[in-house]
Order: sequence, then C-alpha cells, then structure tokens
Amino acid sequence: MPINVDGSAKKSRKSKRAKPTQAEVADRHALYERAVQDPKTDAATLGELYRKVRKKAAVSLREDFCGTATLATEWIKGSKKRTAVGVDLDRPTLDWGIEHNLGNLSSADAKRITLYEANVLDGKGPKSDLACALNFSYCCLKQRKQLLAYFKAVRKSLKKDGLFIMDVLGGSETMGPDENRHNLGEFVYRWKQHFFDPLTHEMRCSISFYFEDGSKLAPAFEYDWRLWTMPELCDVLEESGFSKTHRMWEKTDKKGNQTGEFFEPKRIENQESWWTYLIAER
Amino acid sequence: MAKNKGKGKSKGKGRAKPKKKSIADRVDRHDLYQQSVQAPEADVEFFDTVFRELRGHAPKSMREDFCGTGYLSCTWAASKRSRTAYGVDLHAPTLAWGREHNLAKLSAAAQERVELVEGNVLDGLGGQQDIVCALNFSYGVFKTRAELLEYFKVAREKVAAQGIFITELYGGFEGIIEVEEERELDGFTYVWEQAKFNPINHHTLCHIHFRFPDGSKIKKAFTYDWRLWSIPELRELLLEAGFVDTKVYWERTDDDGDGTGDFVATEDEENQDSWLVYIIGVK
Repeated sequence: MPINVDGSAKKSRKSKRAKPTQAEVADRHALYERAVQDPKTDAATLGELYRKVRKKAAVSLREDFCGTATLATEWIKGSKKRTAVGVDLDRPTLDWGIEHNLGNLSSADAKRITLYEANVLDGKGPKSDLACALNFSYCCLKQRKQLLAYFKAVRKSLKKDGLFIMDVLGGSETMGPDENRHNLGEFVYRWKQHFFDPLTHEMRCSISFYFEDGSKLAPAFEYDWRLWTMPELCDVLEESGFSKTHRMWEKTDKKGNQTGEFFEPKRIENQESWWTYLIAER
Repeated sequence: MAKNKGKGKSKGKGRAKPKKKSIADRVDRHDLYQQSVQAPEADVEFFDTVFRELRGHAPKSMREDFCGTGYLSCTWAASKRSRTAYGVDLHAPTLAWGREHNLAKLSAAAQERVELVEGNVLDGLGGQQDIVCALNFSYGVFKTRAELLEYFKVAREKVAAQGIFITELYGGFEGIIEVEEERELDGFTYVWEQAKFNPINHHTLCHIHFRFPDGSKIKKAFTYDWRLWSIPELRELLLEAGFVDTKVYWERTDDDGDGTGDFVATEDEENQDSWLVYIIGVK
C-alpha cells in the first residue's frame, strides 16, 4: 500500500502514486512458487522414488511444512486414488493455499486433501505411504533433540512400509555467505546466505524479489536454520527408528547437466553447492 | 572395528635396497611427521592456560590417546617436574620409535614421569588424569556415532573429577573438498592431500607425502581414513557422553588474516577456508 509520508503533499503524492509499484501488487507466495518450487516435478519424483524402493505405487502423501500445499495439490492430480495431508503452522499461508491451489481443484478433488494448522511435531493426521519435508524446512529444528522428536513423529505417521523423503542442501559454498540471482522475466529472484556459523552450523538466509520498476520485496522470506549434514540426518533417522536410509544423488548427462533422475551412489565428489533427496524406510 | 591409526600409523615400505641412497631413503618419516604437523610446546602451553582458565589451578597429569610416538607426552612431562604423562597407542612399532627418539632424550627423572602403553583407547587402561587429550584428529577413525560416543564415554571416565578432555578438529570450505597443499620445511616439502571427501557420509581419505630437493619422495608416508566430524556433532556427542559443558577455542588472526597461535573461547564465528579448533569437554 502506498505510504504518504507528509500530509501536506498528500494530493500531489497521491496522483503520482496512483499506480502502485510492482512490489506492492506482487503476491510473495505466488512469486515463491514460481521461483523456488517445481511441485509437478517434485510430485512425480516422489512417486518414482517410492516405486523404486517399494516396487509399488504410493497413494497417500503427507506434506510436512506444507506452506501453500502446492505439492499436495500436484500429488492428488497424479491419480484419482491419491490423497494428501498437509501440515503447517502458519494459518495465513495455509489460507493462501486453500484459495489459490485447492481453490482451482474440483470440489471432489479438493476433498482428497486435508490441511492441518499444526506443529509437525504433533503428528496430526492419518498414516500415509509417503511423508515428505521439502525445501529444507526441517532445518528450523536446530537442536538434535528436536530433530529426533520430529523424525519419531514422522515415523509414527507412516504406514508399515511407508517412506519418508526429505531434501538436503550442501556443498562447500553453502557453509558461508553467498548470494545468487536469477532473472525470471518479470522479476529477479535473489537467494542470500547472510552467515554461517561453523560452531553451530546455524545459518541465516533470505529470499528477495526485485522488479523492473525498481521496487522490491527484500526480504520476502527469511530463514533461521541449522544446516544439517547428510550423515547427521542419517544418524538421527537411525536413532528415531527408521530401518534404512538411501542417500540419493542426481544423475548428470555427459555434459554435466542435471537429468532429474536419482540414483544411490556409494561415493560422490563434493561440489560447491548441491541439493538432493534422502529417503528413510520406516 | 576401528583401529588407532592416528599419527603413528605405520606401513611397511618394503623397498629394495637401492644402490645410491636418495634423501627419501635416508630420512625417517616419524621424524618428518613430528617436524611437519606437531607443535607440542604450543599444545602444552594451551593445555596449561585453558586448564587454569576452566579449573582455577594447574594441571599435573595428562593422558594422550592415540599418542603415536608420544612426542606430546614427552614434551608435557619434561616441561615441569610436577607433570606426568600417560600415552596410549595401538601400534607397537610407533611406540618403540617414540621411546628411542623422544623418551630417551629426556632426563632420567622426566623419563620416569612418562608411561607409553600399547593398547586400544577404548579399553580405558590406566588411571584418571587431569587432562585427557586426543589430538591430530585421530578419533576420525571412529566413523559411526555409536563408536565415537563409546570413545568419549571412556575418555570421560579417564578424566579426573576436576579435569577436562581436549580434542582438535579441522574444517572450513577447503576441509570438505579434494585438495592438496604444500608447505616448505627445513630440507623437505610437506604435502597434505585430501584425496577423497564424500559428502553423503563425510568420509575422507587423506595422505601425507614428503618430497625432497634431490627429486626423491615418500608418497603416502601416512594415510588416514576418517569421518570428518563437525563441531556441533562433537559437542553434542561430548554432552551425550556425560560431559557437563563444552567449549570451542578458535585461533585469533592478525590483520593479515594469519593465525596468531592465540586461542580464545567463542560461540560465534564466520566460516573460513580452513580452520583448526580445540574442543573441550568439561567433566
């Protein structure tokens, strides 16, 4: 909303500001979904990973830290049998998702999604084939005990042969200040790592959006995380009762481009920055 | 089964007798190791300072786990008449080298204050000491949380009621990639090679090589097959093992960014290309 700083200039300002800036009319959730999420691909990949490990199709999905539930929405589009549960703490974000994502579904389809405004540690909702925690959201759990409690709760929320899939961020350059920008046409997306503390592995990051007219949403989202390493996550998963972990890695073609296909290597050379999936069998 | 590899890991060279001896054939790799990576006087000074800071009195007895040649134990005991040292290592030939080259150089009285014992650090041989230390990252041979926790529990049992446990860790952007670095020393080049670092389990394979002015070299003079643990992981494990508190001591740098040798307790640091910290478990 335009702000009038000085009452006396109200009139002239008003006329000048008749047209709001791009930042003022932008919807940060929509921008986030465009910039960071690829829910269609994620839903397909989760389905494929489940089939790879369990040799059958997953029907029910639990999306922890679901935000706008865009992944849950894409999941149920994959088959008429599919159902999804989404859990998030933030009511306004859930409401945005109900309006913009679930709202675009037929009422019959929308009924196959249940959203809970709840803490993921509470383990609300029915047992599912697949549970996921994507976009590194579990990193807001900074104490090992908290992460352990969360993994125990997830494990309980899984069916007997259920799988838990999370994404993991890493690489030498994730452990320090860094910044990268992507021009997405109508706006520029900026990912910034403000600091990383090697003593605690705490990191602060933010997402900002910059527009052609010079306006910006900076920061649009802020994160206060502990950057967990792959072996740490596996150790905690094991301790919380998961029977087996699969540390996946994305295949690259001969030119080094990502293929969207994941395999389970024994050894990988570290990179400056990477993200991948970690699968845990209940 | 984890083994004590640490600094003292020996590998038979099995070379044939050369006709003309190169420098590599004449030198002693334990001696080169001690010159390259150890600075026991600095460790002794740090131990004394940090112990007084945390415990309010002077430390006397010190246990050196993964002691290898016992260089630190000997330096500790020789530094003051009140100080005793107890070194433990799995590898008998390395201990024998240390007795001959380090222990034998001490005065008879100081020698009496050093005990170098062949054993597994997990067996908890010997009595309690003011300080128990595990330096040079040797505990990296414990690659599972359960193994490292067991070791920390044993180490804690060996710490006296008013004592501390001291260990070391390296890290930074360059700690987790494949990289090689060289240092010129007196009459030889020391090469540290991180041949492998696997981000999915943090296993790392490192080698120490030595090169000489006549072109000869000792490749893989020492090899380490470790899990590179992180600072928060070690602190969490120390607490789980029963230590009541942990401290991290970070090296101060001068204006040029070079290490000053001065370590201070800290809770908030920026990551660097390469760092080395002392981590303390308070009993």
